[in-house]
Amino acid sequence: MFRECDVPKTDHHEVVEASAPADQRAVLTQRRTNRFARVEPKGKRVYTARERAEMLVDDGSFVEMAPMRSAGAGAGSGVVAGWGTTDGHSVVVVSHDAAVASGAIGAVMAEAIQKAQRFAIDKGYPIVYINDSGGARIHDGIFALHGCGGIFALNIEAQSRIPQISLILGPCAGAAAYSPALTDWTIMVKEQGQMFLTGPDIVKAATGEDASAEDIGGSALHTQVSGVAHLEVVSEEEAFDATRLLLSFLPTHKGGRQKRHDPVPANPRAAAALPTLVPEKSSIVFDMDKLLDGVLDNGARLELMPTHAPSILTLFARLDGHAVGILANQPNARGGILDSKASVKAARFVEFCGRFDLPVLTFVDVPGFLPGTVEEGRGVITHGAKLLKAYVDTKSPKLTVVVRKSYGGAYIAMGSASLGAHANWAWSGSEIAVMGPGGAVALLHRRALKAAEEPTVLRDELAAVYREEVARPYLAAEAGIVDDVIHPEETRDRMVAALRMLTHGSGQ
Amino acid sequence: MILARAEIVSNVWKIVAREGDQVGAGDVLAVLESMKMEIPLYARAPGHVSKILVEVGQIVQEGDAIMEIDETAGA
Repeated sequence: MFRECDVPKTDHHEVVEASAPADQRAVLTQRRTNRFARVEPKGKRVYTARERAEMLVDDGSFVEMAPMRSAGAGAGSGVVAGWGTTDGHSVVVVSHDAAVASGAIGAVMAEAIQKAQRFAIDKGYPIVYINDSGGARIHDGIFALHGCGGIFALNIEAQSRIPQISLILGPCAGAAAYSPALTDWTIMVKEQGQMFLTGPDIVKAATGEDASAEDIGGSALHTQVSGVAHLEVVSEEEAFDATRLLLSFLPTHKGGRQKRHDPVPANPRAAAALPTLVPEKSSIVFDMDKLLDGVLDNGARLELMPTHAPSILTLFARLDGHAVGILANQPNARGGILDSKASVKAARFVEFCGRFDLPVLTFVDVPGFLPGTVEEGRGVITHGAKLLKAYVDTKSPKLTVVVRKSYGGAYIAMGSASLGAHANWAWSGSEIAVMGPGGAVALLHRRALKAAEEPTVLRDELAAVYREEVARPYLAAEAGIVDDVIHPEETRDRMVAALRMLTHGSGQ
Repeated sequence: MILARAEIVSNVWKIVAREGDQVGAGDVLAVLESMKMEIPLYARAPGHVSKILVEVGQIVQEGDAIMEIDETAGA
């Protein structure tokens, strides 16, 4: 019933039809000219919704679904939906048209988006949402809300079927911010895209808080503090490039063929540096990225959430040509600890890899979960538990290597054997223990230390004995809890062999 | 003026830069100790150290200011 108002009596297209009824070719041409007329983008926007969709996919591959669909006045449905290819692989694209009612989602626009979502889910193609919308179209009332809810429901249905990527290319409020939160990865253009429940004016009216759109929902907030978005880029072009790169690591759908490339050796200089890269003293930080350079295929990588919870690295890369997900502690940031945010970031990444059958390679050098009032108040126990669950639920190949130290609950959480690692190793200089030698000795030898004349000397002596006799990985290897103790330079070959075995040599 | 802040709850282990020092981006200003790790606090931009706000041995929380860096006076 609400659709009756979608065909207004004063539609200018009717004038065209009336003036040239005999020449249907001219009518169609005129209608297309009107519909596809370029409306100059406003604000920081550079391209129209249609141009964005076309730029995202391979040249000339975009096909628009239902281009004549209109929410009235011949202006279009408010969204350009269609499909095309990226690197030759099919992808569905939904691009909000900010030139139609600021991209606000009305009943017709919601229906057009849902049609594209249904198509992507049923056919098994990834879907990219180019978001640029003020939220629900107020004029459509409950029909707008019902339509937005339908989009969310399909976002959730899609989670178990196809990868979903959201780009934020304008101010996205309400429903236009919630839908991205239900997708896998969100990319924001700096100083152009924002995500918030509601914009500055309504915030001011509701609570009195005076804040700019950037303060409430800018890319700095969401990629550093909140973790709502996963990548910040500086232009629309860069957003499309990042999306294509991301898609290059992913199958088109759950159970689909993994995109295997030709194997590329690791960076030779980084590989040569591996044996001496990790400082012997376990308290000294180093850059885990350099370690990854010495193991992984030398080629394209995509790190997600690089500025949020940086003590853990989450990235897509290749090993022996296989697309893989990498989870690695980063000692260079906050000592490489696990805390609430790092746990949520890590769990989300591992869960995604498991959902789309991507192997998970875990590189461990972790001093532990950060304890204390602040972290307990943030719910570190609940968040840490998410990481345990993500690993156990993940059935894709899980390979883990401890490169230096792995203590306590963090040892378990970082892809340990008990959580189902299919293959795992420890470097010869590593330590695996319930706690670091200093803390362990203080507990185990409390009385002796109290009675000692020089407790610090005794503590250091006992700690050295503990390190060599208890913490070194040979106990774990003898117990079968790590598969083997290896030299750093053997890591790549071990991982490649395990990956070939676990994927039946096929990339599956 | 910008504040160099602790990125983690920790104990101030070493103060490397002194008041009045010129520092470049990436220079180590102080070393914090937490979870048995020596965590360097780096200068994010060039400038000079206008004030040191903590003492060695002091416990700091995540986000606590360690030093004031005057960017405008920097190289």
